[in-house]
Amino acid sequence: MKNFVLIKIIEAMIALWVITLIVFGLTHLSGNPAGALLPDDATQEQIDFLIQRLGLDQPLHIQYIKFLGGALQGDFGMSMKWPGEPAMGVVFDRLPATLLLGGVAMFISIVIAIPLGVMSAVHKGKTIDSVAQGIALIGQSMPSFWLGILLIWAFAVGLKWLPTSGSGTFMHLILPAISIAWFQISALTRLTRSSMLEVLDAEYIKLARAKGVSEPMITWKHALSNAAIVPLTYFGVLAGSVLTGSVVIETVFSWPGLGWTAIEAIKARDFPVVQSVVVVFAIIFILANLLVDLLYAYVDPRIR
Amino acid sequence: MLGFCFSARKVLISGAAITLMASSAIAQNVVVAIDPGSAESNLYWETIGGLIPPHMQSLVGNDPETGAYDNSGLAESWEHNEDFTSWTFKLNPEAEFSNGWGPVTAEDVVHSAALHVGEDSRLSGIQALRDATVTAVDEHTVRFDLPSPEPDFLFLHAGRAVLLIYSKAQFEAEGLEGYAENPAGSGPFTYVSRDLSNTLKFAPVEGHWSGVDVDFDSLELRFVGEPATRLAMLLSGEADIVSLPRELQADAVAQGNEIVSSAQASMQSAMVFSGLFMNSDGPAKDLNLPWQDVRIREAMNRALDREAMIDILYEGRAEPLTVFSMDPRFDGYVPDLTENFDDSYGYDPERASELLAEANYPDAFENRVIPIAATALAGNPEFGLMAELAQSLFADVGLQTEIREMDWPTLQNARVGFTADFVHPMRNAPVRPNAIGVLASHTTHLSPAYSIGSPELDEMGAELVETKEPAERANIVENMFTYVFDNYAHMPIATVSAEVVINPERVKGWQFPGASSSGFSHFHLIDTVE
Repeated sequence: MKNFVLIKIIEAMIALWVITLIVFGLTHLSGNPAGALLPDDATQEQIDFLIQRLGLDQPLHIQYIKFLGGALQGDFGMSMKWPGEPAMGVVFDRLPATLLLGGVAMFISIVIAIPLGVMSAVHKGKTIDSVAQGIALIGQSMPSFWLGILLIWAFAVGLKWLPTSGSGTFMHLILPAISIAWFQISALTRLTRSSMLEVLDAEYIKLARAKGVSEPMITWKHALSNAAIVPLTYFGVLAGSVLTGSVVIETVFSWPGLGWTAIEAIKARDFPVVQSVVVVFAIIFILANLLVDLLYAYVDPRIR
Repeated sequence: MLGFCFSARKVLISGAAITLMASSAIAQNVVVAIDPGSAESNLYWETIGGLIPPHMQSLVGNDPETGAYDNSGLAESWEHNEDFTSWTFKLNPEAEFSNGWGPVTAEDVVHSAALHVGEDSRLSGIQALRDATVTAVDEHTVRFDLPSPEPDFLFLHAGRAVLLIYSKAQFEAEGLEGYAENPAGSGPFTYVSRDLSNTLKFAPVEGHWSGVDVDFDSLELRFVGEPATRLAMLLSGEADIVSLPRELQADAVAQGNEIVSSAQASMQSAMVFSGLFMNSDGPAKDLNLPWQDVRIREAMNRALDREAMIDILYEGRAEPLTVFSMDPRFDGYVPDLTENFDDSYGYDPERASELLAEANYPDAFENRVIPIAATALAGNPEFGLMAELAQSLFADVGLQTEIREMDWPTLQNARVGFTADFVHPMRNAPVRPNAIGVLASHTTHLSPAYSIGSPELDEMGAELVETKEPAERANIVENMFTYVFDNYAHMPIATVSAEVVINPERVKGWQFPGASSSGFSHFHLIDTVE
């Protein structure tokens, strides 16, 4: 198990290093930030100062080494769109809002998807199964931003029950969290359903039934505890999807999180903030997957 | 007696209740939802100056209706020497900063100018102040000595607002941190708070030194990137005023909201050619751009059905433009060009096709395909559609084109680096005095990246820079515009006002001239429903 953990940690470190290479390369390939940060009539003097201030006048490999050196110490430079703010400061300022939104979205996903998937499997071919399949189909075919706008239209503009956008109260959380959760609900429901169907057909379930164990006990204890391993594996993906989903949804709902910050930073070619956001997203994603791998190995000894 | 006292008390209580109700009825928080800016900071010089914060002021103001320079800013009067190299401003002695930072003095202006011209300044047009010497003549008199004549110096202070006045006293007490945390201004509002990328909040100054009386309790600027969300905010009552792309304005109006336009044109739009295409020694020579041939430029201009474009892009609420960067409000305007516009530029696909044949297009051109940049720019949501419309109209006359999707910064970088080989939509915001406009948009003198590369035009520009006599300057500007017009150097489209959509149940109206960089100003003139 120790070797397994060690290998997984080394893999995670390598993945993170590769991500720094990619994000550094992509941000620099996207062009000079002068066009985004300076006015149309910027003088050469203004352009030169900005380029020098960002260190863009140095060879690319030197820039990367400096970036990596700074990143290892948590210093990603100063934001260009939000002057005076350290890039990582902007990220940490916005991170709690994204974690809150993502956490609520994941909670909604799990609370709805797992029971729905289980019920769908148990009542295969019946009405509840059809409903669950329908929800899954709609959720996976409808873009989240479109769903977000529809929800705004229905619940904020039409019914006036909830705010259109912004943050500050629990009410502000509901629509964006549902928008992010919807896709995850459909994915998780399908996974849970197929996993449960497989387990419900297993010999030990038949044996339990023969022994007279009640159906709820068979479904929710014996079957689900074994079937849960597949949805559990999906949690790593789920965490990543929630983060990437936040980029679009936070923009639609003006939710002051990392996703909205990322979009604003990309539009402004704010290299330091873009790099910080991507690295933080990557760390969260890698940690979530590492945790899932370890849990998976713990639950299923064959994996080790 | 007891009864009387009781009644009197009841009356008093009722009176107080009525007063409270009345005050709560007029208590109104005005929420304005707009696009996020490219940079957000309370240190104005660290932004490009797109939005003048409502608590700050420049030396010179604009009349809300005509856009004319007036003394609604910090200066009550001004004068210049004969050759426009020295400008003296008399500050309003009543002017004072909010939060108790004292009167506005000439020293504050000197201090603010030094901050604005620092290396970190990103301000549009700041180069005009870079080499100026700013002197406090006395407590309320400040003089700008300039290295070259600046007859349009007032525009830099009013429309462009390159210099906002900060309190020196606050700086001495709190440093830049004080400005960043709670900047004192002299405008009709005080700064309350900023939540980066989300909101900027202001409160009106009671008994403002200028006599301005704001009729609402607070002002909130919300930065919302998604236009559909801004529309939803208006329809749900969360915002009172929103900026919307024109395609969404109709939905808002259908729900009982109203469009409010700036009193004056705030922007000009055009399709422009890239590269130093009139310079045979410039980079364009290697690119072999089709529009190096004036016949192609004329054909492209004649292929554009401007009336239809204005109807589609601006729902008819725009005026045709004669020459990009020429405006009838300023010296140097040439009415003859407008009168001759239809003859020279009018929609004529047949003539366009003939011109292409005369130029032996496409056979005579190595790069026969004309790329059109489809781009998005804040405040100009119609740019993508403009590119597609132009492509369709060009195709009708036989021009081969392709759409290139690119963001504005990429486009800008290509222009600055002289690697741009495409035509693209362009805007001029704010509409500038003609002398500034013609220099910035067509020559190497103010914005080299936009130069069309004509040595003849650059020569006239150099003469303009050195000329002080107003009539002579106007004459040179007229000649420059005529040259641009005759050579089909641009594809002018329209002159457009800045527009917002208001909820008439909350806001009666808003008078703003459209003369500032973002088009929006005079927030104190938002007239709310009491």
